[in-house]
Amino acid sequence: MLKVRLIPVMTFNGISLVKTKQFANPRTVGNPIQVARVFNSRNVDELIFIDIMATEQGRKINLPLVKKIIDECFMPVTIGGGIRTFEDINDLLRIGADKVLIKSMALKDPEFIIKAVEYFGSQCISISVDAILVEGEYWIHHENQEQILLETFINEMNQCNVGEFVVNAVHNDGMMKGYDTKLYNKVTQLTSKPIVALGGAGDPAHFVSLAQTNYNGALAASSIYHFTQYTPNEVKLNLNKAKIPVRI
Amino acid sequence: MIAVIDYGMGNLASVLKAIRSLRMEAVTTNDPKEIRESSLIILPGVGSFEQGMKNLKGLGLIELLTEEVIYNKKPFLGICLGMQLIMERGSEPIECKGLGWIKGKVEFINNSRLPVPHLGWNKTYYPGDENKEDTVSNNFYFIHSFHVIPEEEVMCTHVNYEFTMVASLQKENIFATQFHPEKSQKAGLSLLKTYLEPHA
Repeated sequence: MLKVRLIPVMTFNGISLVKTKQFANPRTVGNPIQVARVFNSRNVDELIFIDIMATEQGRKINLPLVKKIIDECFMPVTIGGGIRTFEDINDLLRIGADKVLIKSMALKDPEFIIKAVEYFGSQCISISVDAILVEGEYWIHHENQEQILLETFINEMNQCNVGEFVVNAVHNDGMMKGYDTKLYNKVTQLTSKPIVALGGAGDPAHFVSLAQTNYNGALAASSIYHFTQYTPNEVKLNLNKAKIPVRI
Repeated sequence: MIAVIDYGMGNLASVLKAIRSLRMEAVTTNDPKEIRESSLIILPGVGSFEQGMKNLKGLGLIELLTEEVIYNKKPFLGICLGMQLIMERGSEPIECKGLGWIKGKVEFINNSRLPVPHLGWNKTYYPGDENKEDTVSNNFYFIHSFHVIPEEEVMCTHVNYEFTMVASLQKENIFATQFHPEKSQKAGLSLLKTYLEPHA
């Protein structure tokens, strides 16, 4: 049986790993290469690394550093941050990234996404969906604004035949009070593509309660692995106990 | 020396990294001389079947690889698209000819209620052994929308995704996997070591 993927997320600000709360108040949480090495040794199913400041600061991602991170990993790795051109995508794939995570260009220029999918294959083009709940509606949050309805954006990306959606609940980011299960079940109805849920996990029980809904995508998290004693393996043991298929 | 064929289709860096982590030597190449002199050939690959065949043809590698693998019996490892291309025919995006080393075809995963691509970690097993326990050592990382249907007797492992698909196949000097051993942590590295070590 196909396992539910457990995916730690590393967010980087260009200098060190940081963890935000609701996309603000970053706290330093360590050295990316060491953290990647630890996650690899803990047998996580995949890894996501995002330079969250690259687009805002108009710089390219630090390729030599990203290569060192990828070199620590013998599982699939997704890299995001500051991707604007085919060259940016190619640079990341060439050093061993399996997927690239794109947000700004998907919002700005869907045509770019269509061409990237045609050229590189849909399996390596992941789309970052930063969703925020405002007065009962889910919107895409970008550059500190609500830009487009979640539903409209997902439909548009479905048309582009992208490979995967990484759905981050901005209102839950870093809060560690549980996943927004409504959000992921809504996205499940909007697409047949693989989905990665991110934002809010702070306890193994949070993973279990999302996996027990109709949502059967991947379970990603960040804060729990930095700020609590729980390791990915302990989360998996809890999922296993609840009869959710995981790789242990 | 192991030759990892560079034909513009996918993640060569990961394959190379995995082999080197096992302390074996490998090069990425499309140079006929280097391929002829290699001890083992790896055909990796991600992407469409038709594009893969076009690229092999453009580099003049169809005849060379066939000569090395089929006539000279050089050990061969195909990974993902590299497994699909050794079949007689593919269908991505349209019906087209493959290398034809194994009788059979490659088809879209369409008899499943589950999402396509088949993406993630799944258990592989020998036919008849489907109920064996799920462990870290028999789970591998898959990402594919097409699967191979052999039409001759080959040794294989299976994977279940609402129906049974071929996870790996072996015939004489040919071994090929639909999953990515280079992305499957300890289980994948162990498999690579087992197959490559005698020829490295």
